[in-house]
Amino acid sequence: MFLKVKNLVKNYSSKFPIIKDLSFSVEKGELISFLGESGSGKTTFLKCLAGLEKTNSGLIELNGKTLNDYNTFESPQKRKIGFVFQDYPLFPHLNLEQNITFNLEKKYEKNLDYILKLTGLKFLLERFPHELSGGEQQRACIARALIREPELLLLDEPFSNLDTTIKESMREEIYKIIKKTKTTTILVTHDINDALNISDRILIFKAGILQQYDSPVTMYCEPANCYCAEILGDMNKLFHKNDTYYVRPERVRVSKKKSKYKVHVEKCFFQGKEYKVKGKQNNETWHFFSKDPLEENKNVYVDFGEKDLIYFDPVCKNFFK
Amino acid sequence: MLVILPVFILFFSFFTSGKETLIYLLDTVLLDYTLNTIYLIFLTSVFALLFGIFPAWVISNYSFKGRSFFDIALYLPLAIPSYIMGFTYIEILSFTGPLQTFARSNLPSLSNFLNQDYLQIEVLGIILGLALYPYIYTASRISFSMIGSNYLNISKNMGLSNFQSFFKVVLPLSRPAIFSGLFLVIMEVLNEYGAVKYFGVNTYTTGIFRSWNSFGDVDGAIQLASILIVVVLIFFLIERLSVKKSRFYYNRNTQLNIRYTSSGIKPLIFWVICFIPFVLGFFIPFIFILNNSLETFHLADLSKVINLTWNSISVSGIASLLVIFFALFFLYVERISKSKINFYISNTISLGYALPGAVIALSLMILFKGSLLVGTFGVLLFAYVIRFLAVGKSPIQSSLEKQPETIDDTGKNLGLGPFSLLQKVHLPINKFALLSAFIVAFIDILKELPITLILSPFNFDTLATQTYEFAVEEMLPLSSIYSLIIIILGSLMLLILKNYIDKQIDVSKS
Repeated sequence: MFLKVKNLVKNYSSKFPIIKDLSFSVEKGELISFLGESGSGKTTFLKCLAGLEKTNSGLIELNGKTLNDYNTFESPQKRKIGFVFQDYPLFPHLNLEQNITFNLEKKYEKNLDYILKLTGLKFLLERFPHELSGGEQQRACIARALIREPELLLLDEPFSNLDTTIKESMREEIYKIIKKTKTTTILVTHDINDALNISDRILIFKAGILQQYDSPVTMYCEPANCYCAEILGDMNKLFHKNDTYYVRPERVRVSKKKSKYKVHVEKCFFQGKEYKVKGKQNNETWHFFSKDPLEENKNVYVDFGEKDLIYFDPVCKNFFK
Repeated sequence: MLVILPVFILFFSFFTSGKETLIYLLDTVLLDYTLNTIYLIFLTSVFALLFGIFPAWVISNYSFKGRSFFDIALYLPLAIPSYIMGFTYIEILSFTGPLQTFARSNLPSLSNFLNQDYLQIEVLGIILGLALYPYIYTASRISFSMIGSNYLNISKNMGLSNFQSFFKVVLPLSRPAIFSGLFLVIMEVLNEYGAVKYFGVNTYTTGIFRSWNSFGDVDGAIQLASILIVVVLIFFLIERLSVKKSRFYYNRNTQLNIRYTSSGIKPLIFWVICFIPFVLGFFIPFIFILNNSLETFHLADLSKVINLTWNSISVSGIASLLVIFFALFFLYVERISKSKINFYISNTISLGYALPGAVIALSLMILFKGSLLVGTFGVLLFAYVIRFLAVGKSPIQSSLEKQPETIDDTGKNLGLGPFSLLQKVHLPINKFALLSAFIVAFIDILKELPITLILSPFNFDTLATQTYEFAVEEMLPLSSIYSLIIIILGSLMLLILKNYIDKQIDVSKS
C-alpha cells in the first residue's frame, strides 16, 4: 500500500475529538474521495496528512516512509505532499508563473512546460491572481502542486467555489490531469456527485469515525449503514414482510398495472431528461423518476425488484427521520 | 513587559511614596484637575464628533464638486500639532491679531465684542476639536464606506428619509468605529500638554509637569500620574466593553456604495459641511503660520532650522522603524504561534497608546534614575516605541488579518520555514501596510511634545520643542518657521499615505 493511515486520533479538546480512530490505506495512483458533512473534520484530516496539524496519536506512512507516529513528525516542508486549498490561495504579489514556480527546486523546473500545457495556463503566465477567473486560479493551484511531482495530492473542496456550469468541466479536466500524471490523490468533498463521478474509492467519515470505504458502485448499492446510504442519495422507506426496507429512487418504476405500492403525487419537477416525482406512500415521502409528466394530486402505482431493497439494522433506521 | 513596565514602576512608586502628598493633592488641586480634564474631554469630543461625522457621511455617499479635494484635505489637520493650533488661534484672535485689527479699522461696533479673553477652556475645546476631528473622520469614513447601500435601501424601502436613515441605521451601525475614533480623541486630550499649558487650564498632565519641574515634587507627580493611569484604564475598559457590546457582523460591501449625484441646493450644503472643518482646522492656521514665517524669515537662524529639521526627521525616522519592527515582530509571532499567551501579549502592547506621554516619560525617569541612560537617545526611543507601538501595529494587523491562514499553510506546504515565509510572502504582501505604519508613526512622533521635552538628551532640540519654547516665551512669530516645517512634513507624509491607501483600495477592487 502506498499511503497507510492507522489509528489516527486528532482532537482540539478532549471533549470534542475531531478524528476518533481512523485507519485506511490507498494504492498508488488511486483517487480517493473523502466524503463527510461540513465541520466533520475533513480539512483537519488533510492538514494532519500534510503536517500542518499535529496528530494526537496514530501512524501516517507514505511510500514506505513514516511521516507521523509516536516518535516521528516529519515537518510539512519535508513531506512530498501537494495541497490545493479550498479558497485557492495564490500569492497576490506574484504573477501566475511566479506562483507556480514559487520556492521550486531546480530539478522540477523542467516540468513547467508540461504542467502548463496540461492545465491550459500557458498564455496567462504574466497575469496576477486578481486577473484570473475562479477556474484559472484553481488550475494554477493544481499546477503549483503538481509541478513538484508530489507523492500525494490533497484537494480540499476544489469545486466548491465554482458555479455549476464550469464545475463539471473542471471536474473532468482535473480527473484527466491526475490520471495522466498518475498522482495518488485524496479529494475532500461534501458533494456526492464529485465523489461518485471521479473516485476510485470513496471514504465516508462521520462523527470522527470511518463509516465505509468502498468503490462508488458498491457504496451506492450496498451502503454499510443508513448514514452512508443517506449521504449518497435519497432513500424511500417502505414496509415489507413485517420489516422496514429502503429503495433508491432510481430503482422505482412507474407501473401501468395496479401494484402493491400506490403513491399520491405531490410534485412533478421537469429535469430535462425526465421528471422527478415527489409523493406520499403510506405516509412516507418518496422520490422517483418518470419519463412522462404525472398529474399532481393523483395516485400512481409504482414497482421495483426485490433485489433492489436495502435493509439496515433497526438502530440505524432513525437516521432517515 | 515593554508596555507594562512604566505602569508597574509608577504604581510601585505610588505605594512606596509618602501619603502626605496625596492627602495634600486631594485637599487642593485634584478636584480642579479632574473637573477640568472631564470638561475638556467633553467639549473636545462634541466638536470632534461634529467636525468628523458629517463630512465623512457626505464624502462617503454623495458626489459633488470638490469631493475628491476634500477627501484628502479633511485629513490634513492631523499634520498640525494641537499645541501649534492653540498658539496660532490665540495669536489670530488676540488684540493685535488680524481679526481684531481688521474689526477696529472697518467694523468698530464689532471690535468691542471681539475683544475678549480667549484663553478659556471652551475655546481650547473647540481648537482641540478642530485638531483632533480627523480621528473621528477617518473611523467614520471607513465605516460608512463599508456599510454599503443595501442597508440604506432597506431603510428607505421601509419609509425612512435619508436623514432618518442616517440617524436610525447608519450611525448605530457605525457606533463601534466612531467610538474607537472618539477613544483616540480622548486619549489625545489626556496626553495634551502644550496647548493646555498655554491656555492655563489645569489638567492631570499639566499637574504632573508642574509638580515635577516647578516644585520638584516627585511624589506628587507620581501620584498624579498614577491617578491619570486609572482614568485612562477606565476609558479603556469603557471603550472595550462598548465596542464588544455593539460589534455588528454586518455583511461588508453588501453592494458597492453608490454615490448619489446631488443637485439643487444640496451640493452647496455638502460643500459647506466639508469646508468649515478644513478651513478652520487647516487652512487658516496654515496660511497664518506661512505668513508669519515669510515675515520673520530674515530673523531665522537657518543653520538652526536645518539642524532641528534633521534632528526631527532622524529621531522620528529611527523611532518609526523601531515601532514597525516591534509591531511586526509581535504580530507575526502571534500569527504563527497561534498561542493564547502571544495573543494577549500582542493586545497588551496596544495599551501603550493610551498612556499619556508625560506618564511614560516620568516612569522611565524613575526607572533609569541615577544611571547613565538618563538623557540618552536610547531612553527617548524606548519611550517613543512604548507610546506609538499601537499606532504602528494597527495598519499591519488589519493587513495581516486580511491574508487567509491558507496563505501560511501554502507557504509551509511549498517548503518555507517561518523566517522565509515572512521574507518571501508576508513582507511583500503587506508592504503597503508597513509603509502606512511607518508614516502614521512618523507623523505622530514628529509632533510629539511631552516625551521629547522630558527625555531629550541635553542640547538636543526638535522642531516640536523649539516651537513650544518660542511660544511659551511669547515669541510666537519666531516659532512659525519651525511649525511650518512640521506641518509641511506632516502634510507630505499624509498625502503619500492617502495615495497608498487609494492604491490599496484599487487593488482590492480589481
